[in-house]
Amino acid sequence: MENAKDTFYITLRNRLTSVNPNRTMLLRAVRRPGILVEEAEAPAAKLPLDVFVLRWTAVEMDMQLPSMLVRMTCEIHYTTAGTQANGGLDRGRALEEMDAELLQLLSPMNAQKMNYTTTQATAMGTDVFWTVPVFDSVKTLRDQLSRSVTVTVFVFQEQGEL
Amino acid sequence: MAGDLSAQNTNGAARRFATALLRANGGTTASLQMPPLTGDSTDAAQLGLNAPNFQLLPLSPVAFRRARITLQEGEQQKYELLISAEAVAAQVSQLELTSADLLFSMAAGVVVAGKLFLIEATYVSESQGEVYLYRLLLREARGEWQLQ
Repeated sequence: MENAKDTFYITLRNRLTSVNPNRTMLLRAVRRPGILVEEAEAPAAKLPLDVFVLRWTAVEMDMQLPSMLVRMTCEIHYTTAGTQANGGLDRGRALEEMDAELLQLLSPMNAQKMNYTTTQATAMGTDVFWTVPVFDSVKTLRDQLSRSVTVTVFVFQEQGEL
Repeated sequence: MAGDLSAQNTNGAARRFATALLRANGGTTASLQMPPLTGDSTDAAQLGLNAPNFQLLPLSPVAFRRARITLQEGEQQKYELLISAEAVAAQVSQLELTSADLLFSMAAGVVVAGKLFLIEATYVSESQGEVYLYRLLLREARGEWQLQ
């Protein structure tokens, strides 16, 4: 399952560099694309602005098939307060922009599963694939607009895989 | 009616007073858990595979106390850390950062007496436009790691 989670994140991150190369963040002294896995970073009281945050929640397994099919739920959270140049009055547009970017990041809805625990990432035998995103309604907190998007990720568990 | 635009010259007295009070009232040392100056840009670092190699940045004098809040069942205890603005300014200057806010936002946690705490909120106290004290609201981390 961990390989599928890693593959999903790296796929979205690599796509973000071409969809919007300007969406970057400085995290742990590294400038990188503005997307992160919440459970792989230091805990924070507030989610960072203008960044996609991946949060893994539910896991279900289907044992009836020759290979076990794992179904995982990934919530993608993002928050914006608009830009300084527009005094935050463009926060609706900024959120809309992130919605559109996320749709592009999630298409095509599959990727070859990779193992990133080895020094050189190695390709595995099956794909990771996911459903169309379900967009939650916008949440407004004073000057911030937030949205949560749910994607169900499927993967076949391979022999000897954790 | 015109505003009062007269200059208020600060002489640092509030800062020195706060530092002296913290030192006199059981002042101790707390350390911010900071990322290394040269970050790890590999995929493994972003996936939680590589050790983050956090470094401890000492701040002194500080006062550490239990926050007076109503406890909820199952919630971790909250604490308050009062930090001398002089100590924060010294570290902000040494790391060549633009603000204390940036320093605290970079920190992954705070270590006090070998115990890790997570930063919940940051407040400042100021006099004549000069910050003399930083207050961090901390929550006890669940991991029982002993940190030096």
